[in-house]
Amino acid sequence: MLQDKDRIFTNLYGIHDFGLKGALMRGNWDGTKGILEKGRDWIINEMKSSGLRGRGGAGFSTGLKWSFMPKQSDGRPHYLVVNADESEPGTCKDREIMRNDPHTLIEGCLIASFAMGAHAAYIYVRGEFIRERERLQAAVDQAYEAKLIGKDNIHGYPFDLYVHHGAGAYICGEETALIESLEGKKGMPRLKPPFPANMGLYGCPTTVNNVESIAVAPEILRRGAAWFAGIGRPNNVGTKLFGIMGHVNTPCVVEDAMGITFRELVEKHGGGIRGGWDNLLAIIPGGASCPMVPAAACEDLIMDFDGLRSVKSSFGTAGCLVMDKSTDVVRAITRISYFFKHESCGQCTPCREGTGWMWRVLNRMSEGRAQKREIDVLLEVTTQIEGHTICALGDAAAWPVQGLIRNFRHEIEKRIDQYAANPHPDPVPMAAE
Amino acid sequence: MAKIVVDGTEVDVPAEYTLLQACEAAGVEIPRFCFHERLSIAGNCRMCLVEVKGGPPKPTASCAMAVKDLRPGPNGEPPVVLTKSPMVKKAREGVMEFLLINHPLDCPICDQGGECDLQDQAMAYGVDTSRFAENKRAVEDKYIGPLVRTSMNRCIHCTRCVRFTTEVAGASDLGAIGRGEDMEITTYLEHAMRSEMQGNVADLCPVGALTHKPYAFHARPWELNKTESIDVMDAVGSNIRIDTRGREVMRILPRTNDAVNEEWISDKTRYVWDGLKTQRLDRPYVRKGGRLVPATWPEAFDAVAAKVKATPAKRIGAIVGDLASVEEAFALKQLLTKLGSASIDCRQDGAALDPSLGRASYLFNAGIAGIEEADAILLVGTDPRHEASVLNARIRKRWRATGGKLKIALVGAQADLTYPYEYLGAGPETLADLAGSGTFADVLKGAEKPLVIVGQGALARADGAAVLSLAARLALSVGAVKDGWNGFGVLHTAASRVGALDVGCVPGEGGLDAAALAAPGGADVVFLLGADEIDVAPGAFVVYLGTHGDRGAHRADVILPGAAYSEKSGLYVNTEGRVQFANRAAFPPGDAREDWAILRALSEVLGQKLPYDQLSALRAALVAAHPHIGRIGAIEAADPAGLTALAQRGGNTDKGGFAPVITDFYLTNPIARASAVMAECSALRLGGVAAVAAE
Amino acid sequence: MELLRYIFAWWHKATPGTLLWTRRYGELVGEDEFGNRYYRTRNGEIDPTLGFERRWVLYSGYAEASTIPPGWYGWMHHRTDVAPPSETYTPRPWQKPHRRNFTGSPQAYRPKGSVFAGRARPRVTGDYKAWTPGE
Repeated sequence: MLQDKDRIFTNLYGIHDFGLKGALMRGNWDGTKGILEKGRDWIINEMKSSGLRGRGGAGFSTGLKWSFMPKQSDGRPHYLVVNADESEPGTCKDREIMRNDPHTLIEGCLIASFAMGAHAAYIYVRGEFIRERERLQAAVDQAYEAKLIGKDNIHGYPFDLYVHHGAGAYICGEETALIESLEGKKGMPRLKPPFPANMGLYGCPTTVNNVESIAVAPEILRRGAAWFAGIGRPNNVGTKLFGIMGHVNTPCVVEDAMGITFRELVEKHGGGIRGGWDNLLAIIPGGASCPMVPAAACEDLIMDFDGLRSVKSSFGTAGCLVMDKSTDVVRAITRISYFFKHESCGQCTPCREGTGWMWRVLNRMSEGRAQKREIDVLLEVTTQIEGHTICALGDAAAWPVQGLIRNFRHEIEKRIDQYAANPHPDPVPMAAE
Repeated sequence: MAKIVVDGTEVDVPAEYTLLQACEAAGVEIPRFCFHERLSIAGNCRMCLVEVKGGPPKPTASCAMAVKDLRPGPNGEPPVVLTKSPMVKKAREGVMEFLLINHPLDCPICDQGGECDLQDQAMAYGVDTSRFAENKRAVEDKYIGPLVRTSMNRCIHCTRCVRFTTEVAGASDLGAIGRGEDMEITTYLEHAMRSEMQGNVADLCPVGALTHKPYAFHARPWELNKTESIDVMDAVGSNIRIDTRGREVMRILPRTNDAVNEEWISDKTRYVWDGLKTQRLDRPYVRKGGRLVPATWPEAFDAVAAKVKATPAKRIGAIVGDLASVEEAFALKQLLTKLGSASIDCRQDGAALDPSLGRASYLFNAGIAGIEEADAILLVGTDPRHEASVLNARIRKRWRATGGKLKIALVGAQADLTYPYEYLGAGPETLADLAGSGTFADVLKGAEKPLVIVGQGALARADGAAVLSLAARLALSVGAVKDGWNGFGVLHTAASRVGALDVGCVPGEGGLDAAALAAPGGADVVFLLGADEIDVAPGAFVVYLGTHGDRGAHRADVILPGAAYSEKSGLYVNTEGRVQFANRAAFPPGDAREDWAILRALSEVLGQKLPYDQLSALRAALVAAHPHIGRIGAIEAADPAGLTALAQRGGNTDKGGFAPVITDFYLTNPIARASAVMAECSALRLGGVAAVAAE
Repeated sequence: MELLRYIFAWWHKATPGTLLWTRRYGELVGEDEFGNRYYRTRNGEIDPTLGFERRWVLYSGYAEASTIPPGWYGWMHHRTDVAPPSETYTPRPWQKPHRRNFTGSPQAYRPKGSVFAGRARPRVTGDYKAWTPGE
């Protein structure tokens, strides 16, 4: 259980003023100049030793990512891009930061840009986040006014911050698609290599980071890497925003230590599962793209990167979707599958064709209108998508289906048997003449 | 150079090679759909997946991964690529299955059948059964113009067509709308494509989604005879393949020749073939009582002989048309010489080119491939997009390769050239200013390899000689002519022009030029060798030797039916001076004969027998007289000294801007004017009437 | 030679065996317009090997099955037991008289332009359009 003094986002619920005044009271922008004065290398080393892993889902070391940027500019400007295109179903941590604690993000942008030699940063906000963008823009304007950022700011490092509004496409949360979209093109992922650190926005070295990764940086640097590294388990350190939703009594977004057990998380913050712990069917632990974890594995499930990998799922963005036994789990995954079919950009073949295929098969399976051998075909189709695409959307679309078949194959088979036994439960409607 | 091991074979390839190229260097075939050598890399079909040892545990798209991006092994061993491993096999089968689930199985009614990449690769890399039980996707067919037919159900979204139109053709007509499964390739609101190279997208399409509309449902690839030939629609000399069935030309496709046309051809080159079947002259005609009446060959020859024998040699002349091969021009010149006349001219548009100054004065000296080295280009009185579309694509390619930094300027009529240029002025005055000094002159002077391209618009005018001299002076003064680089180039529009100039088809001592021959009272007997772009004034006795019932045939007193370029074997010299050989693909219709044979037969009737009975003998005589014509495929480098003489000629230039040479791109020669497809394109360009008619 | 052909070559005319068998067991049912004569077992006796009435034809001239007209064809194949002579059928005015199949014979159908048609090929085959003055 995280103590209140260790919380980074102290206005997560919007109780206090989101603006600069409130932020200053909460300790933001405190000693930022001092941090910058310690130099780029110190910041990057501190970030590395803090053990912060990217909060966007992949869990790549943030400090290491920053260090990939060229040390010396070859004439091209460097850019920081903040990925605020939080579109993953079941994830809503970044929006809380943007609307209630935007100055942590803005301060983080300044520090991260300084560490990478970038004089401009872009925050790409999801298209549907209208109010969040207004809040964020207001906060940026305040920061400009207070000369915290801008060409001629009190920190002595010229820095411009732009808030860009997306058009509402899930794929633009992929870093290269986000860059394409930011450039005004169609949001389609680029081929890697070249990686953005080498050829990113407008062909210049660029780092794309999640909102949370950037927003926690100032606090880590203020309090020291050791403090952050001391929270949680080795290799999975620090505090994290967890989202708890679905069939719990009090759905919420909460900041807690990494390595908290699922049971503690849901009992303490989520108010327990609807109908009691025994009513738990499964959870989707990190946003829609993660394979589901059945109730049996949730007993002492540790919520961090390694803990979830051990149950063949992934930590993702820690948006934990709880399903109780009233859930039609096949229909639930069908709906997720539809989402990925709808959001596939259509660039590369396996994802474009495969997502639609999976959704159609699942749609029939959720009614039971299928053959049992089609379950194996479906599983093979998911493996044909996974790993064969340009970006990770193909993988993301395949994993939930794999998780379903791995854990709830009996459920699908039961459904097929039921349908085969009684294919027309209702009287067949006569064709309208 | 970097070492890489492909399937156990170690090869040494340049580090910037992609894995796909490295695999090809190792002799391993990689299937692909979206990858194309001349387009940017999209990497979206996922067919070219290979396994890279030591990399991530998933296959890699070989078209997008460079050899230099691979990490060597722990002890510095070269990276290992596997293309036949189980993982690769499974990946290919998977991708192929995905491509096929929404692809209609309509190969029997698909025009691409037999030359379809998807068909071939499904055979080689696919599985034999289908596991897809759902409904297939249906996509509405789009109208994208009169030349390319769409069948969008078949589209596999490789985006080759989109990349071609944006990158090579320079007209962003095609694009994709929608995303995911609903992605569709279309033009904006179904307007027709506006590129003059749009036919290439149908060649690029790996499936039958884009096919050639005029060729639709006419033939199957395996029943066609393929003949390698040379195009005569413009002076680029694009390498083409003529596909025939029986004696009918069914279609024309490009051949790859990196020095000339890469693998693109213009729409006029490609879709002119229906013009080869209409308006054909298939029997001789003789004018009797003011009317042309069908005649036999002896009757026609006798009519010519009677007239020629009654005419003094000085009053006989000949004009070589734009589509003639070198042999015919040479034979005609010999015949005229034997008759005692020096009045022969190949410049029916009146371009002021003089072969006596040496070949450098009328060649595109830098060569078409040389454009890719140029770092500043001045266009004088030319619109390369319409005069030589493929050459224009080369300029655009160079412009793109320099990242848009290539400096291009134009003197003459303004036109959309698909790349930005600096407009300097309209006529000779601007050119004269430039020869003195001026900002663009400084750009040219500062350039390593400047290129000055002079078009026919600057030369086919009264002061053409002076303009040519001025341009040569400019080229010399900016240092465009130096060791290893000759940046002075004349861009021709007629396929026959350079060849005819090479064999000296210009008036000799006391001879009349084309304009004089056509003028009233100019000559009594005029031979027109397919010359249709000139009007011979009433009074002269016109012998028209050609293929189509066009202007020349209407004016003629005797018509001798000849063979079109697809129906004869001949040599052509393109604008850069490259001698190229065209094979015969079909036979001339009816009683028509090959032009050289007609000239040979006529010479006998005229009593001035030409000394060759076979085409090979004619060629031997031709090569003996002009040795460089014998070096097929090569460019005989021209001596730049001629340019100095040309520059010194000087002369007074007139006022007035250079007029465009081509008023209607689609109707520039008798074959194109006979073509219904070209007529439709022309109408669409002028008024867009045909676009509505398609509904 | 003639004799051997008479005995064994059934396709020129009926073999002696057939004629003998016809004389002994056959009953003439009728004759069609080409002179083919149709027989059945006398009084419609059941043929023991077939299990039903046997019907056969003696061709006039070369044995060519397609010379059997449609009415007799039906009877021969037991589609009907009423032979054409005892039927009241009158052909429609648009019905053409029956013709045998001429495939393989000189009268076979030859498409336009076929080199076997025996006529001179037209000079212009229509794969191009000739120009005529005054167009």
